[in-house]
Amino acid sequence: MEVYLYIALFAPLVGSLFAALFGASPKTVITGLVTSGLLFISFVSSAFLLSYVMSGHTVHVEMMTWIAAGDLYIPFGFVVDQVSVTMMMVVTIVSTVVHIYSIGYMDHDKGFNRFFSYLSAFVFSMMILVMSDNFLGLFIGWEGVGLCSWLLIGFWYHKESASWAANEAFIMNRIADLAMLIGIFMLYWNLGSLQYDVVFANIGTLPMHIITWIGIFLFIGAMGKSAQFPLHTWLADAMEGPTPVSALIHAATMVTAGVYLVVRANPIYSLIPEVGTAIASLGAFVAMFAATMALVNRDMKRIIAYSTLSQLGYMFVAAGLGAYWVALFHLMAHAFFKALLFLGAGNVMHAMHDELDPFKMGGLKKSMKWTWILMTLASVALAGIYPLAGFFSKDLILEVAFVEHHYVLYTVLLLTAGLTAFYSFRLVALIFHGNERHLEHGIHPHEAYTFVLYAMAPLAVLAVIAGMAFKTPYYLMVTHLLPAVTYHIHNHTTFWIMTIGTQLFVILAIAYAYKKYAKAVKVDKKVESGFFYQLLYNQYFIPKIYDEVFSKPYLKLSKLAWKEIDLKIVDATVDGIANMIYQTGEKTHTMQNGNLSSMLRWMVIGLVVLLVLAVAFTAGYNAVNLQAM
Amino acid sequence: MQEHILSILIFFPALAAMLGFVVHKDSARAYGITVAAIEFFLSLWLWSLYDPMTSGMQFMEMAPLVSAFGISYLVGIDGISLFIIILSAFFTLIGIASLTEKRRVKDLIITLLFLEMTMIGVFSALDAIVFYVFWELSLIPMLYIIGAWGGPLRIYASIKFFLYTFTGSLIMLVGMLFMAYFYYQATGQWSFSLLEWYRLILPVNFQMWLFAAFFFGFAIKVPMFPFHTWLPYAHGQAPTIGSVILAAILLKMGTYAFVRFSLPLFPDASVAFMFPIAILAIVMIVYTAMVAYAQEDIKQVVAYSSVSHMGVIILGIFAMNVEGITGSVFLMIAHGVVSGALFLLVGVIYDRRHTKLMSEFGGLASVMPRYATIFGIMMMASVGLPLTINFVGEFLSLLGFYKQSHSYTLVAGTAIIVGAIYMLSAYKKAFFGTVTKEENKNLKDVNRTELLGLVPLVIVAIWLGVYPKPLLVPINNSVEAIVQLMHDKAQTAEAKQRIPDLAHSAGLNSTQEAH
Repeated sequence: MEVYLYIALFAPLVGSLFAALFGASPKTVITGLVTSGLLFISFVSSAFLLSYVMSGHTVHVEMMTWIAAGDLYIPFGFVVDQVSVTMMMVVTIVSTVVHIYSIGYMDHDKGFNRFFSYLSAFVFSMMILVMSDNFLGLFIGWEGVGLCSWLLIGFWYHKESASWAANEAFIMNRIADLAMLIGIFMLYWNLGSLQYDVVFANIGTLPMHIITWIGIFLFIGAMGKSAQFPLHTWLADAMEGPTPVSALIHAATMVTAGVYLVVRANPIYSLIPEVGTAIASLGAFVAMFAATMALVNRDMKRIIAYSTLSQLGYMFVAAGLGAYWVALFHLMAHAFFKALLFLGAGNVMHAMHDELDPFKMGGLKKSMKWTWILMTLASVALAGIYPLAGFFSKDLILEVAFVEHHYVLYTVLLLTAGLTAFYSFRLVALIFHGNERHLEHGIHPHEAYTFVLYAMAPLAVLAVIAGMAFKTPYYLMVTHLLPAVTYHIHNHTTFWIMTIGTQLFVILAIAYAYKKYAKAVKVDKKVESGFFYQLLYNQYFIPKIYDEVFSKPYLKLSKLAWKEIDLKIVDATVDGIANMIYQTGEKTHTMQNGNLSSMLRWMVIGLVVLLVLAVAFTAGYNAVNLQAM
Repeated sequence: MQEHILSILIFFPALAAMLGFVVHKDSARAYGITVAAIEFFLSLWLWSLYDPMTSGMQFMEMAPLVSAFGISYLVGIDGISLFIIILSAFFTLIGIASLTEKRRVKDLIITLLFLEMTMIGVFSALDAIVFYVFWELSLIPMLYIIGAWGGPLRIYASIKFFLYTFTGSLIMLVGMLFMAYFYYQATGQWSFSLLEWYRLILPVNFQMWLFAAFFFGFAIKVPMFPFHTWLPYAHGQAPTIGSVILAAILLKMGTYAFVRFSLPLFPDASVAFMFPIAILAIVMIVYTAMVAYAQEDIKQVVAYSSVSHMGVIILGIFAMNVEGITGSVFLMIAHGVVSGALFLLVGVIYDRRHTKLMSEFGGLASVMPRYATIFGIMMMASVGLPLTINFVGEFLSLLGFYKQSHSYTLVAGTAIIVGAIYMLSAYKKAFFGTVTKEENKNLKDVNRTELLGLVPLVIVAIWLGVYPKPLLVPINNSVEAIVQLMHDKAQTAEAKQRIPDLAHSAGLNSTQEAH
């Protein structure tokens, strides 16, 4: 089984290096094919490992030493257990699809080979992240995906907005990474190891406040990658990257790394339920907060990005309330339908010549029938309609909140479910129904390549069946490692009222979205100039606030530090002292003017001063006993 | 030959430099490369002979110089100095091999070979006077390099560099003389041997004064805030090769001397000064990173980033535990590789455009993709991405200091944020966007000579990031010896408590130095 582990892990790296060889040369489709093929191999190996893990085993290997100093010992160690194999499956499935899709999507791009090199490097980093058997190994992957995200957001580096967004993402993640490093330092100095098994076995022996701090710091790390408030602004800006990147990195895999971390560290978080509650509350807040921003946005990709943010909030609610397996389950289901949604959006973008405003589209279901079907399917799954994936995973989170008696969280999540359905179908309605508004702009859309649509098919199938088919076997498998808690509402009437109520609520939201946007689009100027619309449209003015409060002052302060402090104070002082010494020399060189009597006079003065000093100091000088070892 | 390998390493370049005067100027380059290559292979041979499991000094050689005062030619290396010596030889080779300077190449190569002698001399000297002589001698070739091949302000910059560091080392010399005098008082005989000094336990108030005297010499060299202002001038005016050697090797003399002198000689004073120095280190990290962010000249960005990284090294040294010191010694190597490479890279674009202002560039990634890639890799190493060489050192240094103070480490840890800010924004300005300047449209990508210098550095930066063990094991063993020595010598309760006792902590196979 170790062989499969290594194949699953290193196949993407081989692909990445292969594509990198052609990095500077013109497009060769072979790079796309080879990387996709290697990812498929990685997927097959992961599937083998899955079947092995399903039969109750785990694989744990230690490849070699990485860092050893003092008592610290960190190997390159990898573990395939119930949690990591789930992540591996998600990562390899989505990335294989996205790779094949990208062969079509990046068809005309000059950086074709470079793109595949980065994309495969990302998958490799992600595999390291989920497969490592210690916290620092996870940190390698953590930073690796950050690097690849930086490369891919800024892929079209000639665009100022793209390279700006890339830097924003990297730096904001770094802020969170610092907290994560501190968490790692605390683990090491308190437990002497960073290996998961050692840490989790001994975490209970630590005093409560230390566990709490560890939990908090690790979670702040998770907040960066998973773009939780207040470190969320980078995710929407990250949509500057090519759409397959948004699908793979900023929807399905990387942004869920934070959730993975909390799930992985469940033995820590189980001990500190207050922190868990705080995580859940933040998650619920973000779920709603992001959904409201998606309501009015006019950028197709940003709407989906906010939706991702909102769904990440759901996952954190589940993880925070101790329903780790539910969080991981929603992570998986979400990866499938959200990636599908993004890839659909990519097709639309291509057809629309990179137009992103859905108000300039419409009626596309005629020319893009399959994309319409796929995106509708993904939206239905996202909205949580029975029997698609979202119903099983998202409704479960609502039930968790209800059963755990967090009624406020429950209400927030329920409302958010309605908002989710509304903005998803607002998008679908605007793009695919109504008048063909794009004709005014002289755009004649066409359906994507057939192989691209075929590539998307597996995700569509998974978006439909993942909930129904996988829930029970997944539960049975993963609860070997994660706390096996089931969430049943014991009262049947309550259960049915809740389930049917939620479904009706969601369907009403969908119907309202269709009604409002599927026919003619009327722009209500009064609403749009209203305070709330502006507030939501400007993302609660948070990016502006960050710019004014952090970015600009930091640059100003930096300039001040350089021009005023470094040059005018620190350096000028040094020059001043040097100058003073020089001037003293200039002034006193008259002492040695060759006039014997004046030189003798100075000599006498000097001698007297020295003698006085000698007497004064030797009086107070006691010979101190010195000893040698 | 093995027993004299250190002397050969020290004096071979100097001898070759002297012979270099008779070499014809057209073949000077080939001659320089040959000598530097032989020297580099000698240093690798030294590594292969070195026993990594021994913590004490190896390849020691001694010849009395002034026996009345106990001054002798005493050299030897341990895991701490070994790799800096190899790095010195490595960078001299790379520097000469990728030399693009056209003016008076022969003189430059001779100067570089002299400089190599002084560098290796400093890192292998175990006698304070020998150390001091090499330390001061190293100023002269660098002064000459800046003054003769530098930019328009070269005279001001080189005088500033010289006077500043020279003042610091004079204070250090006074400290050394006092130290020898105290040794004489304690034992009745003079000695400047560092190993003899190690055995001396000084009263705490003496330690404080001596620590301060040594501190000036070392801190100016590092350079620590607020003594750092000579560095931007020196880098700004120095030719590429000067900056490379200065950043990669010469700055390390200061941090190396902290580990070699300050910590084991004055353990109590080191602990007493731990937090004031940590504050200076944090100021270095954060403040100079901000100054770096404000720069308009890409070379100054790299210069200030050097100061910022040296702050992390200082912090690791004053962590006083094996993790921290090992990390900081490793980071010395790492920073040498990365900052040396970055200065070489800046030189590449300067050769083509004769400007270093970032506003003059923009969009270089599309014109010079290879150059952008190598710069990108080195930049990522500089911001400490895992699996690059810098991460190992930075992580261990910060981890080490965390044991001493949580809050200080939290503030110092912002290094990973502010470092990313100035580096990424500089990279964006120079490489991303569209090509706006006409002059940039037809720039040639890195050529073969330049690759000769850059590719090995890229390989080292990644190799040692993935597999740092060959370096960490010897460093770790020698550091353990120093930490144990410090613990044993410590007198104050605070020092005893802050410096870990390796011999008595369970589950450790510490290699102790026998006294």
